[in-house]
Amino acid sequence: MKKIIYSLLVVCTFLVSCSLSEEPQASVTAKSIFGTESGLKAYSYSFYNMLPDGSSAYDQDAMADYGAVNSINSFIRKGAYSAQTSSGWDWTDLRNINYFIKNCTNENVSESVRNNYIGIAKFFRAWFYYKMVVRFGNVPWVDKPLSVDDEALYGKRDSRSLVMRHVVEDLDYACANITESASDGSLVSKWAAYALKSRVCLFEGTFEKYHTELALTDSAGTYLQEAADAAKTLMNQSSYKLYTAKGSSSSYRTLFTSDAPVTTEVILAVVFSADASVFSSANWWWTSSTYGPRWSMTRKFVNTFLNIDGTPFTDNSNYKTMGFYDECQNRDARLAQTIRTPGYKRDGAYAAPNFTGCTYTGYQPIKLCLDPLSYDNGAYNTNSMPLIRYAEVLLNYAEAKAELGTLTDDDWANTIGALRSRAGITGGLSSKPTKVDTYLQTNYFPNISDPAILEIRRERAIELSLEGFRFTDLIRWKVGELMTSTWDGIYVPALNEPIDLDHDGTYDVVFYKGTKPSDVPSGCWAINVDGTTTTTLSEGDHGTIQYFLNSDDRIWYSDGRQYYYPIPATAIVKNQELEQNPGW
Amino acid sequence: MLIDGVEGDPAMLNPNDIESVSILKDASSAAIYGARGTFGVVLITTKNADKDKTSITYSGSFTSEKPVSTPDIVDDGYTYASMFYTAYNAWNNYSATPAKKNKTQAFSTSWLDDFKARKAAGNTKNYEVVNGQYVYYGNENYYKALYKKYTFSQDHNLSINGNTGKMDYYLSGRIYDYGGLFKYNTDTYKSYNLRAKESLQVTDWLKITNNMDYSNMTYHNPANVGEGGSIWRNIADEGHPSSPIFNQDGSLTYSAAYTVGDFIYGKNGMDTNNRVFKNTTSFIASFLKNQMHVNGDFTYRTTDNNVTTKRVPVPYSTQEGVITYLRNDLNDIKENTQRYDYLAANLYTDYETDIAEKHHMKVMIGYNYEQQKYKSLSVQRNGLLTENVENINLALGQTITTSGEYSKWRTAGGFTRVNYSFADRYLFEFDGRYDGSSKFPSNQQWAFFPSASVGWRVSQEPFWHVNDNMLSNLKIRASFGSLGNGNVSPYSYMELLSINSGTRILNGTLNNYTSAPSVLPDNLTWEKATTANIGLDFGMLKNHLLFNGDFYVRKTKNMYTVGPTLPDVFGASSPKGNYADMITRGFEISINYSNKFTLGGKPFKYEIKGTLSDYLSKIDKYNNLTGNLDDYYKGETLGTIWGYHIEGLFKDQADIDSHASQKLIKSSSNGTIYPGDLKYADLDNSNTIDYGTNTLSSHGDLKKIGNTTPRFSYSMNLSANWNNFFFSAFFQGIGHQDWYPSSECIFWGQYNRPYNNIPKWQLKNIYSESNPNAYLPRYAGYNASMKSTVNDRYLQNVAYLRLKNLQFGYNIPKQVLARWKIQNLRLYVSGENLFCLSPLYKWTKDIDVANIYGLDNDLTSGTSGDGQNYPLMKSLSLGLSVTF
Repeated sequence: MKKIIYSLLVVCTFLVSCSLSEEPQASVTAKSIFGTESGLKAYSYSFYNMLPDGSSAYDQDAMADYGAVNSINSFIRKGAYSAQTSSGWDWTDLRNINYFIKNCTNENVSESVRNNYIGIAKFFRAWFYYKMVVRFGNVPWVDKPLSVDDEALYGKRDSRSLVMRHVVEDLDYACANITESASDGSLVSKWAAYALKSRVCLFEGTFEKYHTELALTDSAGTYLQEAADAAKTLMNQSSYKLYTAKGSSSSYRTLFTSDAPVTTEVILAVVFSADASVFSSANWWWTSSTYGPRWSMTRKFVNTFLNIDGTPFTDNSNYKTMGFYDECQNRDARLAQTIRTPGYKRDGAYAAPNFTGCTYTGYQPIKLCLDPLSYDNGAYNTNSMPLIRYAEVLLNYAEAKAELGTLTDDDWANTIGALRSRAGITGGLSSKPTKVDTYLQTNYFPNISDPAILEIRRERAIELSLEGFRFTDLIRWKVGELMTSTWDGIYVPALNEPIDLDHDGTYDVVFYKGTKPSDVPSGCWAINVDGTTTTTLSEGDHGTIQYFLNSDDRIWYSDGRQYYYPIPATAIVKNQELEQNPGW
Repeated sequence: MLIDGVEGDPAMLNPNDIESVSILKDASSAAIYGARGTFGVVLITTKNADKDKTSITYSGSFTSEKPVSTPDIVDDGYTYASMFYTAYNAWNNYSATPAKKNKTQAFSTSWLDDFKARKAAGNTKNYEVVNGQYVYYGNENYYKALYKKYTFSQDHNLSINGNTGKMDYYLSGRIYDYGGLFKYNTDTYKSYNLRAKESLQVTDWLKITNNMDYSNMTYHNPANVGEGGSIWRNIADEGHPSSPIFNQDGSLTYSAAYTVGDFIYGKNGMDTNNRVFKNTTSFIASFLKNQMHVNGDFTYRTTDNNVTTKRVPVPYSTQEGVITYLRNDLNDIKENTQRYDYLAANLYTDYETDIAEKHHMKVMIGYNYEQQKYKSLSVQRNGLLTENVENINLALGQTITTSGEYSKWRTAGGFTRVNYSFADRYLFEFDGRYDGSSKFPSNQQWAFFPSASVGWRVSQEPFWHVNDNMLSNLKIRASFGSLGNGNVSPYSYMELLSINSGTRILNGTLNNYTSAPSVLPDNLTWEKATTANIGLDFGMLKNHLLFNGDFYVRKTKNMYTVGPTLPDVFGASSPKGNYADMITRGFEISINYSNKFTLGGKPFKYEIKGTLSDYLSKIDKYNNLTGNLDDYYKGETLGTIWGYHIEGLFKDQADIDSHASQKLIKSSSNGTIYPGDLKYADLDNSNTIDYGTNTLSSHGDLKKIGNTTPRFSYSMNLSANWNNFFFSAFFQGIGHQDWYPSSECIFWGQYNRPYNNIPKWQLKNIYSESNPNAYLPRYAGYNASMKSTVNDRYLQNVAYLRLKNLQFGYNIPKQVLARWKIQNLRLYVSGENLFCLSPLYKWTKDIDVANIYGLDNDLTSGTSGDGQNYPLMKSLSLGLSVTF
């Protein structure tokens, strides 16, 4: 009897004292990832999640001065934005990068390979901080993964000078150490680092130059020079050049409508694939009446496209009363590749600007869309979206040098001249401009008197339209008031007269007041401009379309607070040391 | 949930095998069942062989079922379309015309006018062909097209049991077949069970039992490829009444392809097959004239779950003679297999004795060990050869994704129980457990959990002179104990980097990537639940009336949850750890009255049983320094709903102008407020309706408006039998529970998305100048002031009373059966979920109170339910059971 009890107890204690430890098999420890090159590569792929994807690659210019939309972004609506509604104070991507940089020290991988991946990580850290500084101004600089009790968690925001200086250091490291060749345009290469450096330095240089209230104009020059140098290195040493293989009528648009990135010119792009079921919704957003905001380009901006001979369109004495068909003739070839112009066809049929369900102004963008109708109404687009391309580097170079005052005729010919030549323009390609275009100056940049800077800004706006640069450009030039520009459209000569916009034989739109005319041809869309809807004409019964006059409450505060977003209120509640941006 | 002492899933159990179900609630009685008994244990015991004779029993039933409620929507196409236009236009400040109803049907004011004219002229043709394109004028009801009127299920069970002196056995088998609710691509469900339970008296002191059971379930769940998600959500978004389902040539319309049409095409869905095999071998050895026993058991269980998911494009036609495909980008099969291998072993010994007549003692000491290994594999490939392919071998595309999972955990523990009772009056019990788990870091794996309980049978006291007929068996009991809950995922304390499938094309393909691991918790150990309870049991009226009542307080400490909120620069969620404490107080009462009287010379026995229970939990400790209301906070009564107070509807423009600014709560696109919109109360007199900083200390105009905890759950069971007839009825309900429909709920109809279906109950309740105090405000879609802003006007009380089961049957008298050597023959009719009453039904019956939470997790993520889930079924069964 006793024996049984004793033996049972012995058995129990023996079993009870065994160790209970289990090792996972479907996840890995840090050591296995950082100890092999394929582990480092797999980790580096996570950084790319910071770049736009299929649902955001094509709408980066949704909030801009030259696009009329059906729903105003609350950031520029009176009383609709505050610290309580603000967002973007998200630091998870930075921790991911810092954790990588801290742990990428395993000697099993050769130093040059490790430095390559650290360079890629630093590229993304620079990308992250560039976006943060653009959005919030001063931000805390964090270069290691913080622990729970680190006092840096509760620190103040660091000055933008300190942060941007670190950003440039990160980019310098990336330029020197990345060995990745990026043959297909989807991965970061050292040229992407040079291009980003030119972009970031141009931003900081011009921001400090024009925001004189910051009293940083001394360092502005340094940044501008660094921007010019980085761009110059890329221009001289890499094999990138402007893509012109399809001629002036379609090379430009091909950059945005090809499935595979056009690596002649595109340095970094977001790529999609039908085979892998990775799509973007570009067509859906730009052509749907409900999915996108029906983004329509304004006439004020379309007027800045030059004539094909290089002279400003607005020099024509009757430009103000030119109808849609006439104004699209003999213009910069990029106009027909950016918006619908007479002669545009989809699936073999003429497609005039669609007032029925798409455009408000008559200037309907096509730049990022594919022509076949089957791509509309869903996420079906497979065309890649360039994020960094050679044309931008040329523009950065020209602008940096012009702001420094060191732009030469050669520089002009190699940058703006080359871009205009690609666009089929024949005049003004070889030497800097000497005449100020009064339309551009009066309507956009009254404080700029240097014709070169004016022309460079025009070129930049047109070349990089819809690619997500516009709002940042307005911020750094300190011309935020442009965000409240009138949204105007095509010129309408008279009421109750149907207009055939593209001269294809069918009438497209007719404007009336009060009662719809009874003889509206089929297929022609009738718009009431008596003031009860969102559209009127500038002279009442004729003139340019004026959109959203009725309930438009866009505002650009005179205290300039909107040059920065407010720090979200929830972030300040968690760390009282963070001071709010002035005005918010 | 324990089945014969081993954890199991009752869904795979044959209900005919169940002998008894008991519930252990206080810490002491659950102690023997280990770390998973922390919040109570449900003990299911299966049948043993009949001691007396051998018998064969067949029982079977045939059931007809239908949903308890189907949404009652407007199916007149013109009414639907014109209200859609109003809702869309109103949101856009009366200045916009929609061009489409969501994605699949075009709209224009001229089409609407044509529709009106056709209706007035009595033209019922539901389509026209204009320039080759179909233009629809339908009056369709997608919900009616979705469900069958009735569905049938049947179940058959055969069991054989008996004994041959030394050996007794129980064998049973069951087949259950459910016909599926959907009219097309129906969701069939079949299950098979087999059990063989034998015990052998090897020697007069050793008995060995073996219990083997096998169950197999197959289920087909149809799916939509258009937008994924569940069919109910898809009908809400694309089931437009103005679009018929079929074109005149038999092809599907665009709206149908996104919804019911996909089911009609019948090629998309998920097939699940789950198999569980479990075998428990146990022995009992008795010594010392049955005073001492040694028990042991060993269980091996393996579970295999296989899911095959298929997605192919759906053909539809919007142009005469032209077929287009929806989701041409999808054309794949995915195979997923999961396997669980589970092992459990128990060995314990108990010794019971009486000392000096009045003292009774029982001591038990034992050991328990469990382990589970889980492995899963998932393979997906696209490029199916044809749409009828069922096997992944005929998928020939280039996109191949594979993934796998693995986890293993082990627990071990020793337990002891000491019972002592004095003169059957004073009862004491002490339990102790020492548990360890592999889920915690090695220095925190083991913990000790004691508990004790006392009982006092007052009616056994010498001073007790109350008449037995009045009050008998009065017993007061109290218990106190703690148990550990180790239910965290394995490996939580290890810094692990997970491998994820990429969704970007990098270097030409999709790639797997890894990223920074979550921050390690700095300590991680057992969550502890300490329960104190006091109970009262007594009988009255010669024990015809029995009363049980308990009142308990449970403190749960070291709950595994998020750490203190850190500033955003930290860049990750705060590491989890044992950071929260909660206290729950509740009571439970059950009263049972049974009696009989004579009716027509035969006894009429009846019984009435009622239960009532309630609880409330409060959070004692939680890391929410700022008191953010979107998170748990210290002092919160669990389930608190914060929301605004609505004063009514705005009467006119002057009313709007004199009221506080409501700019943050939009009832129109640009924020303009119109007469008939909801008027929010400015409770903090700040002249703006806002939520302050959304914290406890500054919550603007928010206040506590309700609680989602179900309060006062009650049930009542009536049963009677007389002269071989038997009857029973079971009611169940909740006294009070608050629920706010979430933004996609079908409750909102077109106030959510203008193209949603209109619930018929709304028609009489919408604001208009002649109905200025209607329940629903000015008709406007995308209405953030209703669906995304919680307020007390639309807070619903989902208390209910449901007749869950009603049964009526007859036992054929034994004399009649004796002729055919049948021991027992029983026939019955029963109904389930026959009716339900609830304050929610004052407004709408579209959503049953059981459907407010829970979604089909195979098809979508989230928990909001909102009526977009499988309906509760009402059924009527005919059954019989015959024993030979």
